[in-house]
Amino acid sequence: MLNIKSALGAGALACVLMCAAATSAMAEANFEGVWKIATPTGALKPVSGAVPFTAAGRKAYSENVKLRAQKKFDDYDIHTSRCSSPGVPRLALTPMRFKIWQRQKVVTFDFEFNRYLRQIDMRGVPVEEQLVPTMTGQSLGKWEGDTLVATTTNVSENTLIDDLVPHTSDMKVTERWRLVDPNTLENRLTIEDPAYFTKPWTSVVTYKRQPDALFPEDVCMDRLEHQKNLVPS
Amino acid sequence: MTYKIDPRCLKRVALAGAAVLSLAATSTLAQPRGLPPGAPPGGPDGPGLGQLLPPSGPELTDAQKLAASLPPPQPGAGGDRGPVPPGVELPSSDPRNIEGTWFHNQPLEFRIQKDMLGRALPYTMEGAKVLERRVVSLHAGKPYSNASAICRPPGQQWQHDLNMPFQIFQSKDWIEIVFMEYHGRWKIVLNPAASPKPATKEYMGYSVGRWDGDTLVVETTDFKQGMWLDVDGTPISRDAKMIHRIRKVDYGERRPYLEVQTTVIDPKYYTHAWSVVRSWGWNPDAALFREYNCEEQVGDPSGGPDAGLIPEPTD
Repeated sequence: MLNIKSALGAGALACVLMCAAATSAMAEANFEGVWKIATPTGALKPVSGAVPFTAAGRKAYSENVKLRAQKKFDDYDIHTSRCSSPGVPRLALTPMRFKIWQRQKVVTFDFEFNRYLRQIDMRGVPVEEQLVPTMTGQSLGKWEGDTLVATTTNVSENTLIDDLVPHTSDMKVTERWRLVDPNTLENRLTIEDPAYFTKPWTSVVTYKRQPDALFPEDVCMDRLEHQKNLVPS
Repeated sequence: MTYKIDPRCLKRVALAGAAVLSLAATSTLAQPRGLPPGAPPGGPDGPGLGQLLPPSGPELTDAQKLAASLPPPQPGAGGDRGPVPPGVELPSSDPRNIEGTWFHNQPLEFRIQKDMLGRALPYTMEGAKVLERRVVSLHAGKPYSNASAICRPPGQQWQHDLNMPFQIFQSKDWIEIVFMEYHGRWKIVLNPAASPKPATKEYMGYSVGRWDGDTLVVETTDFKQGMWLDVDGTPISRDAKMIHRIRKVDYGERRPYLEVQTTVIDPKYYTHAWSVVRSWGWNPDAALFREYNCEEQVGDPSGGPDAGLIPEPTD
């Protein structure tokens, strides 16, 4: 067996360890700032092919298409009908700006749209599974080099993946966030939900850095009450 | 798709509506007595101690007697969480860096009855009558609606005086306070040139802050509407001005806290300015918030558009 200590000497080993630690510390990228989706869309499109629906998934999707045509939004999309949080992963498609904060071992997404929040737990400690699904679910993250890998589960069935694609509460979303360049942030999402999809499928959403700013107070319910468009012009 | 009501959400709505539906409690002893350390003597930022004192003696006015005659609030829960455990990070040693997560270290107060000097709030008769109708409606089981009940920003005092944590993010030009509940955001502009007053009024008003020594002095005006300062409905009008003096206190006993002195200036409802002081302990373990999504329940057609609450008359 190779004896590293004898091969490199104690001093060299210390250097190796220190360098490794430094590399690890450097690996965590800084995503903080204001971002906005590069190409607004209501559809999370797979990087290749079509969404691989199971029969049950296609049936639920087709029902949503029908309900949208009938404008029965509250029967399938309570984000549109009630301003409820779009949840994960649909928040990734928000047409307005959002801020990212990386503080206290938590990554916080602070959305301009209705002041929604979403957080990723980066503490790396064992956590109890949520008893009840929520809109944004339970997101646990870790760094793989300069990529933030977040796994989200326990997402309520009362949310959609995008404007139409449904999911069950067994959905698992794996996001890989990384800076393509200092002003471009990429989110590579993989969706797994065996009840609705025959196989995992992946989509990529990119965001452009925006000037730092305080967001105006956005109140979705006011728009809803006054029958205005959900997304402010 | 058939929507399922999440029992935990229902519980949380009930809690939020606590406010609304009158959950529980108030502690008449929750306000610390006397001026907090570092309270400014007055000057261009607002009234000093001398100016805060009522112009008359201890005799209550008719308006104060009306407020005092109302059924008392119940005592609030919560309180000191003890020192920060060993190994848990402490806040920055820079007194002008107030970033981090803070959480109540005092009992929740459901109705402000005394100012920080232990005096009855200086209601005008109009202000006392607004409080009266809110408290009476609450006790009659037909509470009035308020901003929090319909998923609107409920204002600084309501927002940070509930037992929910908040996080502070700070930059050169502004400070943002992000609350766990109500999608709460309190934006404090340090450089008005970088973030001028918005064209339309916001629920949380427009807040401009500046450092006075190690105390952040924040003046807020231009509220979109009047607000409830607490769960029982202590009122302020849309034309009110609020001054918050915020400072970080750390005596080196692993009990750092934020002290916030709030001064209310609202001639419509109060005969003169008055102040309260509250504090929030350092709590980085609360940085991971629970989800808050009131719109799901408030918009539920099966629950009715007003959640059983009564629209309040417009003054």
